[in-house]
Amino acid sequence: MSHSSIEIAPPATLRRTMSLNGIGVLLALIVVMALLPFVASPYVLLLMLPFVGYGIALLGFNLLFGTTGLLSFGHALFLGVGAYTAAVFTSKLSILSFEIILVVSALLSGLIALLIGALCVRYTKIFFGMLTLAFGMLFHSFLYKFYAVTGGDQGMRVLRPLLLGMEWRGGKTAFLTGPFYYYTLVLFAGMGLAMWRITQSPFGLHLRAIRENAGKAAYVGVEIFRMRLSAFVISAIYGGIGGVILAVTTGLADPELAYWTHSGNLVFMAVLGGSGTFAGPAIGALAFVMLQDFVMAITQYWRFVMGGILVLLVVFMPRGLAGTVELLLSRRGREA
Amino acid sequence: MTELLDVILGGTFHAAVLFLVAAGLQLVFGVQKIVNLACGSFYALGAYFGITAVGAAIKLGMPPALFLPLLVVAGLLVGLVGLPIERVLRTVYRRDESYQLLITFGFLLMFQDTFRYLWGATPRTMDNVYLAYGTAHFLGIRVPTYNLLVIAASLAIAAILGLFLERTRTGRIVRATAENRDMAEGLGVNASKVFALVFTVGCMLGTVGGALVVPSSAASLDMAVDLVVESFAVVVIGGLGSMRGALVGALIVGLMRALAISLMPEMEMLSVYLVVVAVLILRPAGLFGKAAV
Amino acid sequence: MKLTRRDFSRFAGSTALVAAAPQIFAPALAQERPLRLGILAPRSGVAGTAGECGIRAVQWAAERMNKGGGIAGRKIELVIEEETNPKDTIERFRRLILQEKVEAVHGLISTGVSLGVAPVAEEEQALLVMWDGTTQDGVKETMPKPRYVFRSTDNECEAVMGSLLAIKYFKGKFKRVAGINPDYSYGRNNWEAFRQILARYGIAAEFVAEQWPKVGTMDLTSHIAALNAAKPDLIFSSMLFADLPVFMKQGNAAGLFENAKLVLPAAGWQINQLKKEFMPEGIIFGHNTLYFDHPQASELQKAFVDDYKDRYREVPHWEADRAYFALATYKAGVEAAQKAAGKWPTAEQVAEAMPGLEVESLGGKGRFRKDKIAEQVFYQGPSTNNNKYDFPTLASIDTFQAEQLQKPPGADFWEWIKTAKMPV
Repeated sequence: MSHSSIEIAPPATLRRTMSLNGIGVLLALIVVMALLPFVASPYVLLLMLPFVGYGIALLGFNLLFGTTGLLSFGHALFLGVGAYTAAVFTSKLSILSFEIILVVSALLSGLIALLIGALCVRYTKIFFGMLTLAFGMLFHSFLYKFYAVTGGDQGMRVLRPLLLGMEWRGGKTAFLTGPFYYYTLVLFAGMGLAMWRITQSPFGLHLRAIRENAGKAAYVGVEIFRMRLSAFVISAIYGGIGGVILAVTTGLADPELAYWTHSGNLVFMAVLGGSGTFAGPAIGALAFVMLQDFVMAITQYWRFVMGGILVLLVVFMPRGLAGTVELLLSRRGREA
Repeated sequence: MTELLDVILGGTFHAAVLFLVAAGLQLVFGVQKIVNLACGSFYALGAYFGITAVGAAIKLGMPPALFLPLLVVAGLLVGLVGLPIERVLRTVYRRDESYQLLITFGFLLMFQDTFRYLWGATPRTMDNVYLAYGTAHFLGIRVPTYNLLVIAASLAIAAILGLFLERTRTGRIVRATAENRDMAEGLGVNASKVFALVFTVGCMLGTVGGALVVPSSAASLDMAVDLVVESFAVVVIGGLGSMRGALVGALIVGLMRALAISLMPEMEMLSVYLVVVAVLILRPAGLFGKAAV
Repeated sequence: MKLTRRDFSRFAGSTALVAAAPQIFAPALAQERPLRLGILAPRSGVAGTAGECGIRAVQWAAERMNKGGGIAGRKIELVIEEETNPKDTIERFRRLILQEKVEAVHGLISTGVSLGVAPVAEEEQALLVMWDGTTQDGVKETMPKPRYVFRSTDNECEAVMGSLLAIKYFKGKFKRVAGINPDYSYGRNNWEAFRQILARYGIAAEFVAEQWPKVGTMDLTSHIAALNAAKPDLIFSSMLFADLPVFMKQGNAAGLFENAKLVLPAAGWQINQLKKEFMPEGIIFGHNTLYFDHPQASELQKAFVDDYKDRYREVPHWEADRAYFALATYKAGVEAAQKAAGKWPTAEQVAEAMPGLEVESLGGKGRFRKDKIAEQVFYQGPSTNNNKYDFPTLASIDTFQAEQLQKPPGADFWEWIKTAKMPV
């Protein structure tokens, strides 16, 4: 083909196209969500709101799991932090500005992540998973025990916040399926773009290097501890914001949000969608929310079914939905 | 004095229970690098099955005094459930450890509903056997002999395990496979058989533990999920992969909890977490663990 | 998993149908369509056994009512969903109302969940009749003037009754009091109510120990050791999950009950597990609104208990009565509202009709007050092991009405305890 004696490898345009699809898929999904209110019932829309909350939290989770290779079984802790921040601000401090709540949740989650991460990120996958589980449960116990502050098992109310300073005078459902729905979608898109930039940046590259081979990365000069800790903090911020959205939708912040099986569900979602792709976890969140809704309605033994699906997923389709689709597409691309 | 002894005995009893679950966790992790989130489910399985077995045996006319050995046998039997589960796990051995953790989470969910289907939502208790061995009176306190037997059984199991791993040929093979699977295979070890053995023994530790403890308490649906947290605390404190760590960690958790209950009841669970954090800061690998895993 | 166009059009279609004047369509079709009723109850976890009992009871009740023609001629169809944690249960509630289109929802046992679901019910203007799960705190903010939410009797009723009976039977016989209560709002409020009632009656008691085991703890040996060390004459415990039979079994083995009297206001929930072999005599035993072995039980209760024992080989507890009561008052409300309106009533009309209607529930007569809180009959008494069951029954039965045990409308519970006229 070439008349020179040296074969120069062709540029990896195919790979970049696939990666670009990541953010594209996510944005496409968001556009579909934006059009949903024109055709879907209020119930479906209300079901979508936890999906947005989980989607944002999972963007952060996957920075940790998919990109950096750290499996956290305590991510629900930050959901709880966000939820309780929303509760404290709206019902105890009477500060209803959604923007302020978001910022404070982010800061608080980041701070807590800094403290916990300093202890945990020295360890890799399994031990990290166990430690994050333990810390998540520590937070759960704290929420339960200090009932004078947190409301204990009864939780704390989350009142309707003001979006951009504006108050909605209609019913809660109309609020949730109207302005709040669009606000959170825009937030989702924005945070998705930010996460995209992060994963594509040199920082993201360093994280992937650490995941592939930590020893080699350290040899080349990557500061493993700092990088992992930063990833942990960023993932926590996303988790906190996701938690705020969940709490406003529910209207209540309760300790069960931080229980370790809730973290387990997050991992389930990430694997279901495919932790190897950018939009995978978000797709996993959507699939999980709809799957659980469907399964709970058709059988009382839904835990068995969900557990079975998880096992089958890990054994036969570990790349998840998005990952498998990407694999099939790339295979077809190569054959063509 | 009697109160202190009471507290210590109570804490030791709880520690004996925790040890059995944690030992199963440690054995499986040490050899296969799998953390079994369903460890609590095996414990619950042993408890439920033990109740059924003893109930049936008593109806068939077995003398109540024999129920302890019967429970051990029942526990061992139902621990065989580990074999098919290990077969499923085998499909993901070569993959990322996180996936193994996830499969065990899936099994935990499946077990939850299996218990509900087979034994219902009502907590189950074993009748008429707890005090079959009488009560022991010494040093002013009064404790059911059964509690002492459970503590003794735990220690015996710990000793047997230790001897097995250190002194027998199979034990050495297990340890070799734990250190370096490929090398061991290269030297002719059938690693699949070893893994199957180890996982099943790990499960049996849990099921026998559950069966042994249930006469003194009860079997309920949420015990599997709750136990995971405490056993993880034990493993973190003791060090991942270490049997000695399981023993010492269980003792620490059991005694801390007992002390907290008698001195500052509100601090019960938080005291255990405090120890976990302290260990992480001061000795990150746990008391007996190898350096940063 | 994407929504297909068929789903879209189905959703769109159903939305359109709901939006377009349901009043026009409903009466014509109402008589033929079954009456779909949503049930939200726990089926797993600590409260699984209680939820299961309630579900069994409501199924029995629906079957029976359907044999008699259903509710105002429409057969009852139950749509059962599981109560788990507040967030997920709110989603199931919304699904029942918006997707399954049930006409009302009954159920809820956990306090945290009921606090979360109640505002949603008011928002969606959906009728909700709660079986259980209402304590004092938080209720004032979440449900100041409910229009669609009906609450059960106060969760502290049994504690109040237990405390009063403790005074009635044990006055002068105890000086050292210990408490072991589950560490959450229910346990805390019950213990506090007990303390306040003792104070009110001027009982000079020394509180020697207070234990707060985590809900559902399976190992209480250390707690029992601590209680033993304090040498109490009276132990008050509002434990009601699997931890209660464990406490009794382990406590009995440690000799805790040899010198201590026991007050267990909520023991009825675990009646099947509280075996005689470790239960001492003379416990103030609470059966709440249903005592399965009442000698003067109504025909209804006898029929229910016998059927339940036949099918499930265990005896029912008060959750069954709560479930039955909810369905019975709902039926009464619907039928009254339908008579008044001349056509099938709206949720609002039923909600307005229900308060004040007295019905015969399994455990006795009951009704909802104007503020939509229930009033029922409570049964407790000293226990005895002299019977044909595996577990204790009541040697004698004290019967109090809810009016004697719970605060009147608008009052504050803690204020009311200090000043109310008590039946002992």
